Amino acid sequence: MKTTVIAAALALMTGFTFAEDMLLKGATVHTVSGETLATGDVLVKNGKIVSVGASLDAGGASVVDLKGMHLYPGLIAATSSLGLTEIGAVRATNDDSEVGGWTPDVDAWIAVNPDSELIPVARANGITHALTLPTGGTIAGRSGVIALDGWTWEDMTIRGPAAIHLNWPRMDLNLDAGGRRRRRRAPANPDEEMGPEKQAEERRARLKEIDDFFEEAKSYDKGRASGGIPDGRIVPAWEALRPALKGEIAIFINASDERQILAALAWVEKQGLKNAVLVGARDADRCAEALAKAKIPVIFENVFDQPARDTENYDVHFTAPKRLVEAGVPVAFSVGAGSWGTWGARNLPYHAAQAAAFGMPREEALKAITLTPARILGIADRLGSIEKGKEASLIAVDGDILDIRSNVKRMWIAGVERSLESRHTKLYEKYKGRPPVK
Amino acid sequence: MLRFASLFLVLALPVFSQELRPPGHRPDPPGCHALVGGKVVVAPGKVIDPGVVVIRDGRIEAVGADVKPPADARVWDAKGWTIYAGLIDAWAKLEDSGPPPQRPQGGPMAADSGFLGAPGTQRDPGTPGPSSALAKMTPEKRVVDGLSPDAKTVEGWREIGFTVLNIVPSKGILRGTSALFALGDGDPNTQVLRAEVWPVAALVSAITGVPEEMDAYPSSHMAAIAAIRQAFLDADWHARDKEHFTRHPADRKRPAENPALDALVPFLVSDRFVAFESDSALVTDYEARLAKELGLKFLIRASGQEWRRPDLAEGAGCPMVVPVSFPEAPTLPEESDWGQVSLDQLRAWDWAAENPAVLLKRKILIALTSDGLPDKGSFRKNVRLAIDRGLSEEDALYALTVAPSKLCGIEERAGTIEKGKLANLTVVAGSYFDPEAKIVSVWVDGRVYPVKPGEKPKEEPAGGKEKTEEEKKKEAEAAKKKQEQRELAAKRVARAPLDERGPEELPGVVVVKGATIWTCGPLGRMENADLQVENGKIVAIAKEIVPPAGATVIDGKGLHVTPGLIDCHSHCAIVGDVNEGTIPSSAMVRIQDVVNSETDNLAQELAGGLTCSNLLHGSANPIGGQNCVIKLRDGASPDALRFKEAIPGIKFALGENVKQSNWGEKFVTRFPQTRMGVKTFYENRFTAAKQYLEALAAFDKSRSSGGDPVPVRRDLELQTLGELFTGTRIIHCHSYRGDEILMLVREMDRFGIKIGTFQHVLEGYKVADEIAKHGAGGSCFSDWWAYKFEVYDAIPYAGALMHQRGVCVSFNSDSAELARRMYLEAAKAAKYGAVDEVEALKFVTLNPAIQLRVDKWVGSLEAGKHADFAIWSHSPLDARTVCLQTWIEGKRYFERARALGRSEARRKEWGELREKAKKLASSGGGSRGGKGEDDKFFESSLEHRYDYGYEVHCEGVERK
Repeated sequence: MKTTVIAAALALMTGFTFAEDMLLKGATVHTVSGETLATGDVLVKNGKIVSVGASLDAGGASVVDLKGMHLYPGLIAATSSLGLTEIGAVRATNDDSEVGGWTPDVDAWIAVNPDSELIPVARANGITHALTLPTGGTIAGRSGVIALDGWTWEDMTIRGPAAIHLNWPRMDLNLDAGGRRRRRRAPANPDEEMGPEKQAEERRARLKEIDDFFEEAKSYDKGRASGGIPDGRIVPAWEALRPALKGEIAIFINASDERQILAALAWVEKQGLKNAVLVGARDADRCAEALAKAKIPVIFENVFDQPARDTENYDVHFTAPKRLVEAGVPVAFSVGAGSWGTWGARNLPYHAAQAAAFGMPREEALKAITLTPARILGIADRLGSIEKGKEASLIAVDGDILDIRSNVKRMWIAGVERSLESRHTKLYEKYKGRPPVK
Repeated sequence: MLRFASLFLVLALPVFSQELRPPGHRPDPPGCHALVGGKVVVAPGKVIDPGVVVIRDGRIEAVGADVKPPADARVWDAKGWTIYAGLIDAWAKLEDSGPPPQRPQGGPMAADSGFLGAPGTQRDPGTPGPSSALAKMTPEKRVVDGLSPDAKTVEGWREIGFTVLNIVPSKGILRGTSALFALGDGDPNTQVLRAEVWPVAALVSAITGVPEEMDAYPSSHMAAIAAIRQAFLDADWHARDKEHFTRHPADRKRPAENPALDALVPFLVSDRFVAFESDSALVTDYEARLAKELGLKFLIRASGQEWRRPDLAEGAGCPMVVPVSFPEAPTLPEESDWGQVSLDQLRAWDWAAENPAVLLKRKILIALTSDGLPDKGSFRKNVRLAIDRGLSEEDALYALTVAPSKLCGIEERAGTIEKGKLANLTVVAGSYFDPEAKIVSVWVDGRVYPVKPGEKPKEEPAGGKEKTEEEKKKEAEAAKKKQEQRELAAKRVARAPLDERGPEELPGVVVVKGATIWTCGPLGRMENADLQVENGKIVAIAKEIVPPAGATVIDGKGLHVTPGLIDCHSHCAIVGDVNEGTIPSSAMVRIQDVVNSETDNLAQELAGGLTCSNLLHGSANPIGGQNCVIKLRDGASPDALRFKEAIPGIKFALGENVKQSNWGEKFVTRFPQTRMGVKTFYENRFTAAKQYLEALAAFDKSRSSGGDPVPVRRDLELQTLGELFTGTRIIHCHSYRGDEILMLVREMDRFGIKIGTFQHVLEGYKVADEIAKHGAGGSCFSDWWAYKFEVYDAIPYAGALMHQRGVCVSFNSDSAELARRMYLEAAKAAKYGAVDEVEALKFVTLNPAIQLRVDKWVGSLEAGKHADFAIWSHSPLDARTVCLQTWIEGKRYFERARALGRSEARRKEWGELREKAKKLASSGGGSRGGKGEDDKFFESSLEHRYDYGYEVHCEGVERK
């Protein structure tokens, strides 16, 4: 056991990242996909889980004693700007939002800064993988799944592209005269000068743009498939969209308002898209049945948002995940993209915890930060649960991962132990050691 | 004696109202008229039918049933007409009735704008020539100067029956003085009834869309209040200063002239009204409190939303000029669009027409005004709606005649049809309150102005073409439908907002039995213990308390009880902007002037166990405004929310926000722009405050030894800062970096001032010993970081590290969302840095209480303290926990099932209101008076502006 620790420490210090065969022994094993073992062992070879059981033989593997610990699959942040943003207010440090309304050919994962200080901070709370995504425009571009450790972005990327991102157009109307009267500047949004009907016209036009864009993409795709468009005339933007049309990568649709969600669902059906995911999804539980029927999973980013309406229960967003899973909608949690979502990614387990406190079954809540996001991101064959054949991306926690007081003590990604040090722990250690001022 | 005699002579002389015009002009008509045979409404409730009104030379000569028309009278057959005293609109705005708020930059600057208090500040350009230092302060302006409304405007008012307008200035904070204007044609001199009626004040300057206006002080409601307060203080001082100069012309500096201040002096000593314009139910309350504080006699142009808090309107204790501009439900493009319409908007729509009746029921003297209507043509229709909702016709007439005449000080001359009064009449073919009945004419100063039929299609003349059966049937159906709709509109569906709020009525003695009690006091955490509450106070915490007879007993088995949580940094209940960021020191503004008692944030935060909140000014300037600590007594008035025992404080701020780092490229000229300059700025203001205190002391000393010293100007900014020297006020300083924290510590050490708390203080861990030694508290975020450069070294261990070094540490929210779950924040102290759990909970209970100097009353559960507590399903630091109940001063403000039941009731009410709105909207039965479907809008309130979809915190307001 001691040797393992030393070896791990050495690996961390030298950057030696060779997956060692090991038996993780004696932890409470939360497999997520199956039963939780009150005390169990996990045997890891070549970075993969080869066996999970009550009492396994180490064979030649080194034994890691995890007695008293809880072993979980690494947490997965289903949306984030990890590696793309450093300091929200400093423009030079932000690479998360490109200009142009229709840019499917913008790829996020190739701009990840492996040395972003935000990455180790997320890791410290148990996040081993994240989707990092572009945010600007209507079609923002494509995202990739990264492991939260690596020498280069290439090294870190485990799936790119993983999804294409569609920001559903705004559908709310300005119906408030009070707002208009109190306005002090010329309206940024010309809707404010229009009546509801006129605004609705503009709204229809915005939605039609998406239809048109995808019809054009489909024509292009057909043209390419039939050879009607030769390689010499390829258009990168349309090319980038093709895997999404085929369902090979997901279409993430960012929508919050009930109208947006319902319109997006209708659009998905009309377009015959097979792999759509609803993101943000503030009002998802108002459309739970429709979502279940359409078999569209939800990445819920609104647990910690106040109610959006004065007729909603104070706990509407704490309880929404419960209602969604009851209706049969797969739910993943996320803190979201952008600076605030990304530095806050470390609070991912507490979004799940709050939903659990308000009625979501605890195993479902745990699944919503592990296996369900893995499925949504198309990486469930490798990640998201503790199962034979999956990657050994695991965390050992000194308590329940959904309990804020717990701390992640050890982490492995693909069988390699990773550091839980961060800018924060370093500063903590440094200033803990500041001699007292007389 | 001679003077009186000559006065008598003048009065006794016959008045020749008309001069002989030179030949070539059309001769003036004879001035005598008799309206015979009409229904004469002499005064509200007093009718002569049929009656005769005789007019001569612009006055009523006689009125009665048996009056004989004089021989020289032109006789008008008034049969079928109703004759009312001419209507008066007490709040009329003309397009051009405001003194211009914008002035050319760079010209000679008015007055000393020293209170702006900043070297290097671009000062408000003020008024060219002598006036106030603030462009929005123009009390010396008079609407009467240059008043000359065009014929179309005048006719517009006459068409809806008005004969006299009180024309008010419409722009600025102290806007100038209104003028009373008769709606006759001709020489403006003859039309002016009173040149100066009321000075008019408002808390928002105007909605002009001019960005410069936002950038100039005062831009927030709270600063407008401060500016008005300072202006009246200045007026008083200015008058005394000038008097002093007349006594000592050779011994002192000559005082500056200031017409703006001179204009205010009369209102400090006379009983003339000062009029305030309100833009929300709470602003009505704020303005009333301000006027009372200044000792003014006042009236308020109501917002129209007083129905939200009729108790506050009554408490204002002043007459009100009340609009009849009501929101109108639009037809929504899609059924799903209804999901966007809030209960509050529907309530505002449903209640609006009842507002005049609500006010009258509270015994408030009201005058009705057409102000606020986008289309004056809908005035009578809306008055009718108000009558359908509880105002009697007599009340309405009173509010259009007698009441405004009283408020405008012409009740001797107008408001009723009595001998000697002005011959101002409104003549209607039927009742004025039947919007279908045509206004025949209005009479102004004895001259008749026939009202044009307008552009409306003329009705079929009686006895014209025979109507077919079909047409008759259609007409009957239309009439029936109209009647149904009127009945629908007349019946209110909405409930009163106050109905569902406030604590439960429970006995005064409460015992919680068998719970785990986290006392946060000397008793520590007690298992299986009981808590007894009486008359709002904790009387005992012990094992096995026997509940007295009649006590409410709560079974606490398996549950946890904690003190009510306290948030040391919040902006969750403030009306208007939370920042007065126009100037680097806004020490004169007070959050307590603009506490938002109506926000739904209070109920949501109670649901997370929060009972007390420190409402702070924003962080836009090194010296911000004064804070206000509140108890979350949802349903109470703004003033009653205040935690009055709390020590007054003031918001300071350091770093990027105050040096405008992230404000955009335009903001590079205000001092300070660097952390160097922030220190310089403090040094300047504290030196100024010190000198101010010394000047006051010298004044007092000289006075008490019989001297006659130069009066010292009372300066609200410096006075506030002066309280920091005496320790009667404490600093709450927004800060991030270690260097700036240390700077303020040293700077305040130098001035002998102890800082109350550092707020956010995320690098406080780097200088924890220095903070501890100085004695300041640290109120931080649990784990915020990386949103701007100065929080790159912010770490979640900051709280633990400071705590370990002896700083009193709390966690705060700075967000109405986060304030709902401070218990989860406390758990992060246990997580990051392993703070003992009992100590960690103190981060959101006892420690913020200590920081706010209220630990004598709250923060822990101890006998004698306020019974502010929360009951939880699990340990408060366990993420599985759910808050079940929240109590303040022995009253239960939150109980989970009850809260959910309230929401259920709100949804039901919303559904009913939606049905009503749909019915009335689809049939054009709305009421705001817009011209087409696109003019119809709902209306929400200032109080709920940030409740849904917005996040307010120290970094500004952002839409979620």
